Amino acid sequence: MKTIFSIAATTVGEAIRRKVLLVILLIGLLFLVVAPALNILTARQERTVLVGLTLGVIQLTSALIAIMLTVYMVPNEIERRTIYTILSKPVQRWQFLVGKYLGAVAALGMMIGFMTIVLLITFALSQNERHLANLAPLIKAPVMNFFQMSLLSAVALMFSTFVSPLVNIFLSSGIYMLGTLFSPLFQTLVEAPSVNNVTKLFARIIHFVLPNFSNFNVQNPLINPGQVLVDERLYFITTIGYAFLYIGILLVTAVLIFDRREV
Amino acid sequence: MINRKALFGAIAGLAVVQGALSQNVIFPRWRQNYSTDSPNIAGGLAPDQMLVALAGFREMIAGILWVRADSFFDSGNYDAILPIIRLVTVLDPKQIDVYSTGMWHIAYNFTDEESRSDRRYVPTALALGSEGARQNKETYELFFETGWLWYHKIDDNYGKAVYWWEQAQKRPDILPARQNILAMAYQRNGQIQKGLEHYFSQYDKAAAIAKVQEDFGAFQQRDVNENNIDTMIVRMGQRGVLGPASKTSNMGVPYDIDPPFDVGFSAQLSVISPRVIRVRATWNVRPVGTRIRMILRDSDYPNAVPGGLNWDFSNNVQLDPPRDRTFMQDQLFVRNQRSERKIDMSRDPTMYPFTSKDYTVEFYYNPRSAPPHIQDKFGWSGEGMTDKNFLNTTIRPGQRVVYTTLKLTREQILRTGQWRDKVPVIQTKNFELTENFRNNDQAIKIPGLRGTTPNPGDQRTQSLRDP
Repeated sequence: MKTIFSIAATTVGEAIRRKVLLVILLIGLLFLVVAPALNILTARQERTVLVGLTLGVIQLTSALIAIMLTVYMVPNEIERRTIYTILSKPVQRWQFLVGKYLGAVAALGMMIGFMTIVLLITFALSQNERHLANLAPLIKAPVMNFFQMSLLSAVALMFSTFVSPLVNIFLSSGIYMLGTLFSPLFQTLVEAPSVNNVTKLFARIIHFVLPNFSNFNVQNPLINPGQVLVDERLYFITTIGYAFLYIGILLVTAVLIFDRREV
Repeated sequence: MINRKALFGAIAGLAVVQGALSQNVIFPRWRQNYSTDSPNIAGGLAPDQMLVALAGFREMIAGILWVRADSFFDSGNYDAILPIIRLVTVLDPKQIDVYSTGMWHIAYNFTDEESRSDRRYVPTALALGSEGARQNKETYELFFETGWLWYHKIDDNYGKAVYWWEQAQKRPDILPARQNILAMAYQRNGQIQKGLEHYFSQYDKAAAIAKVQEDFGAFQQRDVNENNIDTMIVRMGQRGVLGPASKTSNMGVPYDIDPPFDVGFSAQLSVISPRVIRVRATWNVRPVGTRIRMILRDSDYPNAVPGGLNWDFSNNVQLDPPRDRTFMQDQLFVRNQRSERKIDMSRDPTMYPFTSKDYTVEFYYNPRSAPPHIQDKFGWSGEGMTDKNFLNTTIRPGQRVVYTTLKLTREQILRTGQWRDKVPVIQTKNFELTENFRNNDQAIKIPGLRGTTPNPGDQRTQSLRDP
């Protein structure tokens, strides 16, 4: 365990020092700060747009960070040959991978946490909201976003064990988009009477296999309040459980692939 | 060394568990709690629009698009607004204004050169309203707006208006003044007693509020309902709904609806030039206010029913109406017991493509849509109206309507083939070109209310006939 945490801590340090990630984070933060001013562009209630926009910024920024952070982790170690130093010590390959993953998730958590703090400050100032209890529901979205991005990182890490970073960027982004978009499409396909049963079965299989990133998108009731939510706590627990399960699958797959890989 | 077999087994086990959890537990709850529930995204949007619709910043983009649509309204570029409405409603289905404005725009703003609406769009407007109501169940607005389309634009299937307005009534945010109109829908749907009960219930609520609030709005709502009740009771008395069923009031005079009055409908249609028709009709009722619905449509127009369409046949918001189909609806306004109208469809070939071979011309008069002074004689369901040739009691169960059809061919409408140099004239067998048409007197002859007949009941009946 100590080995894993050592690798994780090193990974967090590397992540914080990577300029590209800091630039993405900075742009995200900038958008969060200027978001209240963008309301003038739209004909919608100010708070609705602000919630939608800021949560969207956090989601997009953290997705970019998750992908850019993870795709280079293993290939960089191989390219710089630092992996030989690590693996020559009493470190198993699986420990290396898990440590790397946990480090990436920790760094991601820090960045999402930082954006969430800025989000709350922006709301407190722009909406003149002084009571934390009124702002607290907003935190639900970034929390679920963190688990979503942890899943995305696992996808990217798994691919990084056998494809180049550039290919991995496209692959992970593609899986993320598909996993985000497929649930609404699946809903449409399943409910449409004109769609034949073969297509419906095909859609069901894809929905079964794909990581369903849309499960973690819980921002709609925050954007349009007043909706009655059923078993919200249970939903959060099962969805987080789902994230752990899928991350487990991806990490085990990554370990199996990486174990056979010649480095 | 890792145990590969065990790990493969673990992957398989975890995969099954995650799939079952996702599909059976998480997805149904996500759909209920967090999905935007945009229906028919796949069918209604292009792939690029779909991507935008499902990505982040939906409300922001929707708001910007709606501002853009406003400029199209200003410039009269109505076609450009349609896809924006669809995209905005998919992006942000909680934007109620877009649904209500969009419905109105689709149903009312696409018109020909003579301001006739393109009725082919009405199902789209209804589907949009229905979708909006589904997306915004917590507010009355789109239930009310959809009901209004049925009540005012379609102006026929009032049971649908009742349904939507009853749904609107169940929402706590409905404005008091908007609750009153449900009574009118009940009346037009033939539920007279229910209409009166609704007014009474409205009055009770308004009176209770007025006692507490004591402001102008509360008093006004109470007084309006009191007045509505008075008017309705009078009308029920005049139309024979109250009192004995002997068709005679307790004053010994017949109710206004008895005996049924023969409206003497007849019609003639001439194609005076390609795609231009002249319609003449007779209607023996002297007071102004009669509008006879006239429809010229493809004989095999999809979902057509006598006097209209199954307007809500689809829940799909199809922005493109059936462009190869023709459906023209107009009204023949009667004055001096006749109607004469020229309908020019030559300037709007996209609205009236005339691609089919055969066409049906329908004439339809339903007393439920008539103004109150006509209904005082004809009753709510046509009890006081008859027509020896065209009275129909089957196409609208429980109602007595006037309905007949004529047939036209494409060659006749376009004046091609054997009709190139001839004026096609089709008419009901009882049509006569009387002196009344030849005089073409535009001054409206209104019968006097001060007759010399001693019996006031007789006088009212008489006043509908000859001067």
